Amino acid sequence: MRSSLLTLLAASALAQSNDPALLSDAARQYALVRQYEEAERLWNRALEIAPAYFPALFNMGFMYYTRGQLDKAEPLLDRAAKASPLDFNARYTLGAALVKLDRRDDALRHWREALKIDPGHVRLMQIMVVEYSKGRYFQEAAALAKRALGLRPADPNSYFLAIKAYQDSGDSASALEIARQAAQKFPQSARASFEYGFHLQKLGRVEEAITHLKRAMAADPKYEEPPFFLGDLLVRQGRHEEAIPFLRAAIQNRADYVPARVALARALMGWEKWKEAIAELEETIRMDPSHPQPHLLLSQIYFRLGDEERAAREKTVSLRLRRENPTVLEAVQGRPFPETK
Amino acid sequence: MGALGVAAALVWAQGVATRNAPPVARPAPSGRPWPVSFVDIAKSAGLDMRFASGSEVSKKYIIEANGSGVAFLDYDNDGLQDLFLVNGSRLEGYPEGQAPANHLYRNLGDGRFRDVTREAGLARTGWGNGVCIGDIDNDGNEDLYVTYWGPNALYRNTGKGQFTDITDAAGVAGPPAEWSSGCTFIDYDRDGYLDLFVTSYQGFDLAKAPLPGKASNCEWKGMPVFCGPRGLPFGTATLYRNRGDGTFEDVSKQAGIRSVEGYYAFTAVAADLNQDGWTDLYVACDSTPSLFFRNNRNGTFTEIATETGIAFNEHGFEQGGMGIAVGDYDNDGRLDLLKTNFTGDYPNLYRGLGGGIFEDAVLKAGLAINPQYVGWGAGFADLDNDGWKDIVQVNGHVYPELDQSKGQEKYRNPRLVYRNLGNGKFEDVSALSGPGVGERRSSRGAAFGDFDNDGRVDVLVMNMGEEPALLHHQGHGANHWIKVKLRGTRSNRSAIGALVTVESGGRKQVDAVLGQSSYVSQNDSRLHFGLGQAARVERIVVRWPNGAVEEFPGVAADRLVLLEEGSGAK
Repeated sequence: MRSSLLTLLAASALAQSNDPALLSDAARQYALVRQYEEAERLWNRALEIAPAYFPALFNMGFMYYTRGQLDKAEPLLDRAAKASPLDFNARYTLGAALVKLDRRDDALRHWREALKIDPGHVRLMQIMVVEYSKGRYFQEAAALAKRALGLRPADPNSYFLAIKAYQDSGDSASALEIARQAAQKFPQSARASFEYGFHLQKLGRVEEAITHLKRAMAADPKYEEPPFFLGDLLVRQGRHEEAIPFLRAAIQNRADYVPARVALARALMGWEKWKEAIAELEETIRMDPSHPQPHLLLSQIYFRLGDEERAAREKTVSLRLRRENPTVLEAVQGRPFPETK
Repeated sequence: MGALGVAAALVWAQGVATRNAPPVARPAPSGRPWPVSFVDIAKSAGLDMRFASGSEVSKKYIIEANGSGVAFLDYDNDGLQDLFLVNGSRLEGYPEGQAPANHLYRNLGDGRFRDVTREAGLARTGWGNGVCIGDIDNDGNEDLYVTYWGPNALYRNTGKGQFTDITDAAGVAGPPAEWSSGCTFIDYDRDGYLDLFVTSYQGFDLAKAPLPGKASNCEWKGMPVFCGPRGLPFGTATLYRNRGDGTFEDVSKQAGIRSVEGYYAFTAVAADLNQDGWTDLYVACDSTPSLFFRNNRNGTFTEIATETGIAFNEHGFEQGGMGIAVGDYDNDGRLDLLKTNFTGDYPNLYRGLGGGIFEDAVLKAGLAINPQYVGWGAGFADLDNDGWKDIVQVNGHVYPELDQSKGQEKYRNPRLVYRNLGNGKFEDVSALSGPGVGERRSSRGAAFGDFDNDGRVDVLVMNMGEEPALLHHQGHGANHWIKVKLRGTRSNRSAIGALVTVESGGRKQVDAVLGQSSYVSQNDSRLHFGLGQAARVERIVVRWPNGAVEEFPGVAADRLVLLEEGSGAK
């Protein structure tokens, strides 16, 4: 409390000045103690005196950015980047603001400039990988992920990011190879074993996939994805009975794991356990009434059981939910990027 | 005087939606001999027409992307398969007299064909799409229906080498601005006359269609391309009942066809998919669920593709469905379906389980190995005559702009040939199947037939912006074969919807007489069966489209047999 008071006293003294540097510094101190209106007033005064004064432009822009006032932040950060073209932070923050304004391509343009300024900035690279992929610039994402991996090879997340980027780019061979390297380099990592198993199953290398997915389960029994993908793989191979305990394990780890519940129902259907499959699907619907897939499978079960009226009703619901939520079905094999720290 | 510092941790948890299906690992080759070699003889055979379908450099609208179908038919009843090729157009039009037209080529019997389009009265221009063939008046001559962006055309075969456009009199032109795609003849009410089912791809309006790159549905991997189909108005389907007097009536509404909405429909096939003796309809749909109209035996249909497992892939994803092959690949007596799809996805191999229920066996069958192509025309055909139906698929991307990009995807692609190993699995033998298979084209329609009657199935292919390919099967295997031609007397004369079972060498094979299949194309209507080492067929059983079952006695192999309804044993 005492230091804040001293800061404000000093800032108050500086605020009487006509020197943009002193004004900007005073504004910054007001911002640090959350007196934003005073900070804004002083930065504006500084910019009246020196319109291209970088610290005032950047810090006021950054204040707006952190407060979520993106429309105000963006022009100031843009002016800051022009005033000091070689400043990394201005480009970086401007890019972040632009992404939040749904201007991904503009953001990537500024981030590319930022990377020229600091070519070893791995975190920016990782963020760019994610945004390149969201913008469907898959080749660019993969190339950058590879570069980040080269700069930070001891970080498992670098591998996971590169695996995902290569997968999205359609280069499944590279994704598999990086996953193999990760599994080898981090043998205790459940995620690394899982990534390798996941890519092996996508490529139809069934028995190898099973080995690595089981290894991931052993490394972290609470991790829900390995048993789900193992069970799902077995269902696709027609090994329904074998799949059931793995899918139940996935559900035990995460009760609201809808794809696992759907796969379990498919396994039960393959085994002609109609009543159990219906019960599983109805439970799934109670948990997530917006998911179309349980209704789709129910329509197939009721049709096979000869209840065409009920089958048609479930189909209608499934098709309606699919239209209302078109992305919900895309998530099973398209997995999220690891979080960038 | 430093800055406050960089932004606090920016964490974006992503859920990137992608199908991006990778090619599944290939098993080791079987090493079995493969006596199949396709050579493209189109040029020497005299097939000198050129297909048009908008720009081949950059396509502005989706109307330019889908190409057209091709057909085998015997229009002059000389026992030789002739060829019909549907042609398109371009947005800027053509100078007077230079617009491309459809083409009819007469088979001269010596490996050459003669263009008889004008004398046959078939030289219509415009944006043609699909073709289907059937004898609508049971006079013994194959009639022709062609779909267009614009009014469709029904041509009656006079039996004198000419066709008469009877579209308006028959009442089957469809709405003048509709973009029709698929069509098939079907005798859905078993009255002995072929009815007509027509699909429409979408409600396309050039004046309202957005330009490339103008919306999220107008990009491909960051590249601006033509828009759609998503985001553009859906298509529809129409069922015309043949009154038997040369006219048809639109019964779409009362038959239940119009009760289904929201799809982009392509190829239509008519076959008895639930083995109840009544011909059903299956439609490959692009980016929307595919459709299975079950014939309710009372003049109506119920759409049951979702319930029976053939609307989506095994995970419930909508797919970019294009073409359909129908056949019994595992010789279990039930028809199976192969549906080709867009790139980044596998085809569907819907294995019939009985009662109209199917499972997608594409992974188990080893067909998930070439998702890099946009698949179009496809067919089951026993290429080595070993008694197991193999697969041929033609491919071609929809964006010619890809040829200018650095990526691996290209507009022109090779064809694919899969050998049926007889154990529920296939292997890719494209590289062993001759130079005609390795040719890179952007293909669409494909029709399967034996134009030289040598017991080996040939393939006619539509290539975007280029001449057609006639893939002549020049392999030399020792296996036997038989061809079966049906002639309905109480059923429709073309016998579309009939199911034929051939028994030989302790094996039963089933095949269906189809209208349209592959991609908006029409195959040789004579059914081809490979017999392996068996030099004789023990028995042939026909279930006619009207439900009657007849048995025909055994015959020696390596010939065409004509089976007329009513001449066999009941």
